[in-house]
Amino acid sequence: MELQLNPSKNKYFQLIIIFLSAIAIGIALSIWLNYNPLTSQLLKAGGETTIFDRTSHGMQQPAPNLTEKQLALHIEGDSAFEATFVTAPAPIHSGLGPLFNNSSCTNCHINDGRGTPVKGQMLVRVSYPPNQLAKIDQNNPAVVLGNTPPVAKLGNQIQDQAIYGFTPKAAVEVEWLEKSGTYGDGSLYKLRSPQLKITLPDSKLLSSDILTSLRVPPPVFGRGLLEAISESTILDLADPEDKNNDGISGRVNRVWDMRKKAVVLGRFGLKANNPNLYQQNAAAYVNDMGITNPLFPEPDRRMDIDAKILESTTFYTQTIAVPGRTLTDDPIVQHGEKLFTQANCAVCHVAELHTGDHEIQQIAHQTIHPYTDMLIHNLGEGLADGRPDFLASGNEWRTPPLWGLGLTQTVLPYSSYLHDGRARDLAEAILWHGGEAEKSKESFRNMSQSDRTALIKFLASL
Amino acid sequence: MLVGLLSFTSGCNNSLSESTNSTPRSQSASKTTFNQQILRDFADKVVIPTNHLFAVKAKELSLAVDALVKNPNQKTLQNAQNAWVAARSPWEQSECFGFGPVKTLGYDGSLDTWPVNETDLKKVLDSQDPITREYIEKRQDTEKGFHVIEYLLFGEGKNRQVNQLKKRELAYLQALAEDFSRVASLLADSWTKGVEGKPAYREIIATSGNSSNTIYPTIQTGGQEIVAGMVDSLSEVSNSKIGKAFAKKDSKLAESRFSLNTLTDLKHNVEGAQNVYLGHFLAEKTAGMGLTNYISEVNPSLDYKVKQEFQLALKALNQIPQPFEKSVVDPQSANTIKAAQEAVNNLSDTLDKEVKPLIKS
Repeated sequence: MELQLNPSKNKYFQLIIIFLSAIAIGIALSIWLNYNPLTSQLLKAGGETTIFDRTSHGMQQPAPNLTEKQLALHIEGDSAFEATFVTAPAPIHSGLGPLFNNSSCTNCHINDGRGTPVKGQMLVRVSYPPNQLAKIDQNNPAVVLGNTPPVAKLGNQIQDQAIYGFTPKAAVEVEWLEKSGTYGDGSLYKLRSPQLKITLPDSKLLSSDILTSLRVPPPVFGRGLLEAISESTILDLADPEDKNNDGISGRVNRVWDMRKKAVVLGRFGLKANNPNLYQQNAAAYVNDMGITNPLFPEPDRRMDIDAKILESTTFYTQTIAVPGRTLTDDPIVQHGEKLFTQANCAVCHVAELHTGDHEIQQIAHQTIHPYTDMLIHNLGEGLADGRPDFLASGNEWRTPPLWGLGLTQTVLPYSSYLHDGRARDLAEAILWHGGEAEKSKESFRNMSQSDRTALIKFLASL
Repeated sequence: MLVGLLSFTSGCNNSLSESTNSTPRSQSASKTTFNQQILRDFADKVVIPTNHLFAVKAKELSLAVDALVKNPNQKTLQNAQNAWVAARSPWEQSECFGFGPVKTLGYDGSLDTWPVNETDLKKVLDSQDPITREYIEKRQDTEKGFHVIEYLLFGEGKNRQVNQLKKRELAYLQALAEDFSRVASLLADSWTKGVEGKPAYREIIATSGNSSNTIYPTIQTGGQEIVAGMVDSLSEVSNSKIGKAFAKKDSKLAESRFSLNTLTDLKHNVEGAQNVYLGHFLAEKTAGMGLTNYISEVNPSLDYKVKQEFQLALKALNQIPQPFEKSVVDPQSANTIKAAQEAVNNLSDTLDKEVKPLIKS
């Protein structure tokens, strides 16, 4: 019996082992397929704040890792972000203007996405050339350090709308100047740049001595993560003297923190002229909508919104989810990613960063893929606005994050790229790069058409 | 681990694949895949007919206002008020597909900004400014659109008497309704013909997944767009449109407080989402493939649940005593409002957490 039983027992055990191995392999395979660490890390552009939504709603979702209490505050902030202000007195949302560019955050940042250069979404910053320092208030460090002497009657921003009975600062029209160029393979491309026509209330055109900079709204998501990157991480990426001799010399902007009353690292705004999201939001309220607030009150200390609203809007902008990547399995996308690295684009558009400490735990210590170094770079004459801002020169711009780039026109059809919306597609955006990015631009310009297509497809997968 | 095991085994076992087909991997093995026909029908049988009816009703509103201005009496006022309510219905039904040109080209702002800038509007009416359609077009969004027309036609608390309407108010109404109708037509055209040199938006959603389509590079993203739109509109109904006024017990926060039409608006929002799910727009007698055709194949019990929850949400809204503007401050109605909020939330959650994942690639 024992002799007969043993083989069958053995067989029985073998079967169990085979069965268990099959299950183990199955589990391992399915885990690998579903949670391939490399793929999932790449896909998780915003670490634990990533969502997978490639629809028009993809840039305005709450980070999925918020607590219930945080989610409630985020929703409150979302609602403040959407509130349309009207002329005082009013039962709700009172205090618009008297001068403004638009009446709510979301009317510029439509769907929280990238805007277009049209009235209501675009704005124009102005200043005297910095050598006219005599005109500024020497007691205000933000103004002294800002390098943007305010223009008489205009200040630093043209509010082109006004409540009834007030006159907008100016009327802004944009005309487009086209120029053409040639790819290395001989095919043609066209680029357009904006020509501003700014008409003052007395019907005169704005003097050409005054520095102007046209801006379109950038997307809002992921900003909390950028706020949570430690200063040392950003400084480590900087190479102001170009010691490594790669022709790229990113540096930091140093700006005025109104709450700390100190000079700190600049992070936000197209030239990194704002230190944090609280100040960025407060400045947008007062400059874009004429909504006075705790950081920018009326001269008599009255304000249109209280600290609670400003804090909730700030929290909202700190905790919007980052849309995860798409089409990462596509070989063309993968080829495009290699080309992106080979062309040195990733030297400034740094793929992976780690966030440090932040009062919101959910955005602290995350591995993120923003494709920015948070530094300002000289992008050449073609893109220059010629208007300095704190330490940033007229040629310098902060590397914009590229995460979510492929969702731009899903979120807001017809929107365009770069600081003033001049680039109608991603190829045009690359072709405008110059200065420190000249060599990378040239690499792209000299690629074969299929390589150019692959690189663009990679960008669209972000 | 358990999820991983199930998704692995479902590939080998047909009986299991039925119960685990909510995972994307096993879904591809299913005979039914989410296809472009649902997206084409979404555009052709739901969005375009809804926008078309809205443009027609906006034109009728403009004509009814013309008649009121020409011959102001209680009857012509009543007709204009009815025309406003009639135009409101397709518009509210369209809110669950509020993506594309309606946002980017500023139509949503021009047609339906809230609240009304009453202060500036009074100043304009008290001024000597010549009132023309072009003048209105240049005013702020808070001085035009549905709610300004509503404010002028209905007055506070639906108390408007025709003899209260001054000459300049009538002139403003007339120019405003004309501009409103113009924008409603542009919205309809933006999907069918294209405006400002841009292609018809119908093509964008209907060709999701085609290699030239950079906005919706996969069919699934097109499908998710239409579900996300429903979820967005429904959560706005429960959290914002009901939620804000209910939390603060303040009827001034009700959306259509001049006409007391808020509750009807809310029902139309839910019906609009239902149209998308079922792939039809009965008011224009159009019907095609809806999400239901796909969901009923891959998960029949979920399809049943969604349809049931649409009915429950509409029923719960019907339980709230009209008008919402009074119920929202009446403690006796609080339970009905809470129940409606919950029913709409349940529906929104089911679409977001159960339907949307099924459309993932």
